[in-house]
Amino acid sequence: MQSKLKQGAAYITRLGRQGCEAMEALGRAGVFLAQSAVGIPSKEGWALWLKQLHFVGVLSLAIVLVSGLFIGMVLALQGYTILVDFGAEQALGQMVALSLLRELAPVVAALLFAGRAGSALTAEIGLMKATEQLTSMEMIGVDPLRRVVAPRLWAGFVALPILTVGFSVVGIWGGYLVGVEWLGVFEGSYWGNMQSSVSFINDVGNGMIKSLVFAVVVTWIAVFQGYDLVPTSEGISRATTRTVVYSSLAVLGLDFVLTAVMFGGLS
Amino acid sequence: MKVNQPMTDVPFIEIEDLHFSRGEHDIFRGVNMTIPRGKVTAIMGPSGTGKTTLLKLIGGQLTPDRGRVLIDGLDVHRLSRKALFALRKRMGMLFQSGALFSDLDVFENVAFPLRVHTDLPDAMIRDLVLLKLQAVGLRGARTLTPAELSGGMARRVALARAVALDPELILYDEPFVGQDPISMGVLVQLIKRLNQALSLTSVVVSHDIKETLSIADHLYLIADGQVVAHGTPQTLDANQDPRVSQFIHGEPDGPVPFHYPAESFYRDILGHASVTRAG
Repeated sequence: MQSKLKQGAAYITRLGRQGCEAMEALGRAGVFLAQSAVGIPSKEGWALWLKQLHFVGVLSLAIVLVSGLFIGMVLALQGYTILVDFGAEQALGQMVALSLLRELAPVVAALLFAGRAGSALTAEIGLMKATEQLTSMEMIGVDPLRRVVAPRLWAGFVALPILTVGFSVVGIWGGYLVGVEWLGVFEGSYWGNMQSSVSFINDVGNGMIKSLVFAVVVTWIAVFQGYDLVPTSEGISRATTRTVVYSSLAVLGLDFVLTAVMFGGLS
Repeated sequence: MKVNQPMTDVPFIEIEDLHFSRGEHDIFRGVNMTIPRGKVTAIMGPSGTGKTTLLKLIGGQLTPDRGRVLIDGLDVHRLSRKALFALRKRMGMLFQSGALFSDLDVFENVAFPLRVHTDLPDAMIRDLVLLKLQAVGLRGARTLTPAELSGGMARRVALARAVALDPELILYDEPFVGQDPISMGVLVQLIKRLNQALSLTSVVVSHDIKETLSIADHLYLIADGQVVAHGTPQTLDANQDPRVSQFIHGEPDGPVPFHYPAESFYRDILGHASVTRAG
């Protein structure tokens, strides 16, 4: 009986400690974000930002666009087989566009971004930490938060919304290829229904807000995990995994909250 | 560019009652040191005594639990982040690994502090970088990347980078570790020559006795979280304290035991044997 009580107490202590550690990490991450993302970049800061924009944005373009194309094509195919039973295949354009703009483009692009760019950011910053490059930068009198972290953060904030736009555009085109060119949906109704039912503010705008939120969260998690890791090879491997897992969970969880606020009647 | 201050008797670094611990483990328990201006001061001690930690405390990368570190009268751990980075422009640090930026070549590594802290034209930066690289004998290696350098070369490039802004203070973290005899000789000569030529204050953390004694003006020996002896190389060599003599003369056993603390060897072996037999 006594040993069970002891086990219970130990469990509660461990739970409490983990809770405290989680809160402490969240606080550190908050201070980290404030210190690195706030401030006016120098002339050189713009050059560093452009370089990172190329690294996280342009180099992620291929995977995001190809995924967008296939998802648009699959949506059209699945949508057609369902809509045709109700004689509503003319609404295919509307279905493809709304699914992509409101949900699939922001969410899938963010998940792909976390896997492609987020993990790379974590590994790169982590390796810089493990090889004392960040420490040596500090000792040269250069703040690594401004020099290394800030350009990567801002590149992520900008890149993901642009990638999401690309994802949607290519996805809608993929839907057109399958729906109109292959399955024979009337081209005028594909585009016409889409035009009449998609609202720029409600659908495109809310999708972009989602994408911006995901961009902040995913990039923040990625660079913080890199900066805060234990500087060993095992530490880098664990942090890279954490980046992908935490980012994916955060994106999916926040998507539900944002959808409830934007489209679920909570607003 | 600032002009180095002349040698005076006012210490450049003062460490007062420094306490620092990691978890349950006390690393420093009341360390006091004064590091004179314009001299080479060596901080020595067995592995694991916290020599590198002490350099990080001096550089403001770690914060002590108690006590303070004054550099040229400024309390390092009470400075704002901005003031701390301004103070660091007056310091250079040579890391054990060299810590060169892997995405920049040798030239750009040395040019880095000049580019971020000065508005000098490119032509002048080029000349300054080549001067620094010439001083460490690696002018010809300017286009190589850090991955193409040997350990000794990387450390020399890091040294050129550390002196790029003509700092007043250089902190050397184990500069001789893992070097072949030729590289070691080159580094010993460079540290001494740079100190004299630029009137620097140098702090060398090391456990390579012969090389360190040959260049240091003043030595501190730390063990068990405290300073156990200090003085010139000659006074330390003559010191009869068993802790000092064990370290200086490299005796395998003494106050610093050969064995990591463990329960009795006899009980460890026999206890295990009896358990195995009973099982």
